[in-house]
Amino acid sequence: MNEMKKWYEKSGAEGDVVISTRVRLARNLRGVPFPSHLDDSRKKRVLEAIHEAVIGPNSLFSGFFMWIPVASLSRTAAVSLVERHLASPEFISHPEGRALLLSRDESISVMINEEDHIRIQVLQEGLSLKQAWKTASRLDDALNERLSFAFDEHLGYLTQYPTDLGTGMRASLMLHLPALEESGIINRTASNLSKLGLSLRSASGEGGEENGCLYQLSNRVTLGLSEEEALSNLETISMQLLRQERGAREKLMQRIETQDTVARSLGILQTARLLGTREFMKLLSNVRLGVSSGFLKGIAPETLNRLSVLGQPATLRLPSGQEELPGMEQELLRVGLVRKTLSGA
Amino acid sequence: MICQHCGKNPATTHIKRIVNGELSEIALCGDCARKLGYNGFFGDWGLQLGNLLGGFLEEEPEQQQELRCKGCGCTFDEIARTGRVGCAQCYQTFRQRLSPMIQRIHGNTSHRGKSPLKAQLTLRPQSAMQVVQEESSPLEEKQKLLREAVEKQNFELAAVLRDEIKALKEGKHHE
Ligand SMILES: [Zn+2]
Ligand SMILES: [Zn+2]
Repeated sequence: MNEMKKWYEKSGAEGDVVISTRVRLARNLRGVPFPSHLDDSRKKRVLEAIHEAVIGPNSLFSGFFMWIPVASLSRTAAVSLVERHLASPEFISHPEGRALLLSRDESISVMINEEDHIRIQVLQEGLSLKQAWKTASRLDDALNERLSFAFDEHLGYLTQYPTDLGTGMRASLMLHLPALEESGIINRTASNLSKLGLSLRSASGEGGEENGCLYQLSNRVTLGLSEEEALSNLETISMQLLRQERGAREKLMQRIETQDTVARSLGILQTARLLGTREFMKLLSNVRLGVSSGFLKGIAPETLNRLSVLGQPATLRLPSGQEELPGMEQELLRVGLVRKTLSGA
Repeated sequence: MICQHCGKNPATTHIKRIVNGELSEIALCGDCARKLGYNGFFGDWGLQLGNLLGGFLEEEPEQQQELRCKGCGCTFDEIARTGRVGCAQCYQTFRQRLSPMIQRIHGNTSHRGKSPLKAQLTLRPQSAMQVVQEESSPLEEKQKLLREAVEKQNFELAAVLRDEIKALKEGKHHE
């Protein structure tokens, strides 16, 4: 339906473990209280200022970004934004006075009036920290050309949460870690990473309950480190984690039980008549393990990336235009998507 | 309110989340929130912040809590209770009381990352070349370059081009 591929329909560098890269920047307008201290009419003025800068007649973005007032969205469409990692649950929970800027390939989004006035987010497939940062920083510069940002020489960019002071940057990698999870050392790994200033946590907080062995690895330190230092720190440590996961996978895939589970999982995905969200994510994770280790042939990693986003409940029912869908109908829709996608249609 | 997960500790945070295609909210204590991986948008420190600030609050003499930020009307008490700072000016107003907390989070350090733009963007040599070489129809050519720049997400170049196009249209362009 659209020749432009979304970031989640592609697979990138180190794609056997790194599903996607995300860089977020928090910025606030100078002289305006943070959004939680603004009433709806003042929030509206912030929206107007940013709309003028980005979408207005002299803007260079007008054809590039869609301007989406959150209040204009159906419940399903709003939840689907979260499932596609374009907005936070908090953002859609209070629609009034909030808008999302979204690039057509869905790789760039800007939440306006979430916890900060401006939260820029760049998403890319695979490991792509430098590129994602470059894009985010350019957009930051372009916005800064029209808007002035709250900044302090010592504290850096001023944010609603003191934890984000400094660069206001959170870079994170979405990782598939089935072997480390299976080996039971993931908690120890997380606490070691935490000592290095990184956080490793289950990705379930954002997209849904069942995470399918997906984890977010992100930088925690924003003050006293430059963006480049934080990114290269994250990249170096992530490469060690990747090596560990790959080593553990090799051993895991030698076990006949694992091979059986992986092969069966593909079989169920291909032949099931009903697929619940939880089971679907688990099966997808098993198949991903099989594909990335070369055990399963003929399935492209991007196919799995696509399924894991488009197979989410609200995103599934979005085209039907229905706000509610009985569980069984939702599962039928999912089966349809899975079969169509796996057969390459 | 009691934590909906452990049923023991008082809930300190309300986490918005998506469960099977619907937005829902759960009240959790800090421990459970961390354990379950339901962290704030920007990381897990936001959750501890209320407690952290609350600790400082108890040590504060009463009359100091009356001070209000001129930028947003916040008192330090409000910041401590919600874990949120009201506006950029709060960082000045409550500098003394926020400093130890910021140091506890980040260490005794200061900003080393990028800074906001100091001056208007100037044309970079490379893009200047591109522009200068096209003598035939500057307006059209620049519009084409602008489209390409936006497609390539080169917003810096796009910004420069857009201003030049505007100048050309208004007839203010001097060679
Ligand atoms: Zn609890
Ligand atoms: Zn204030």
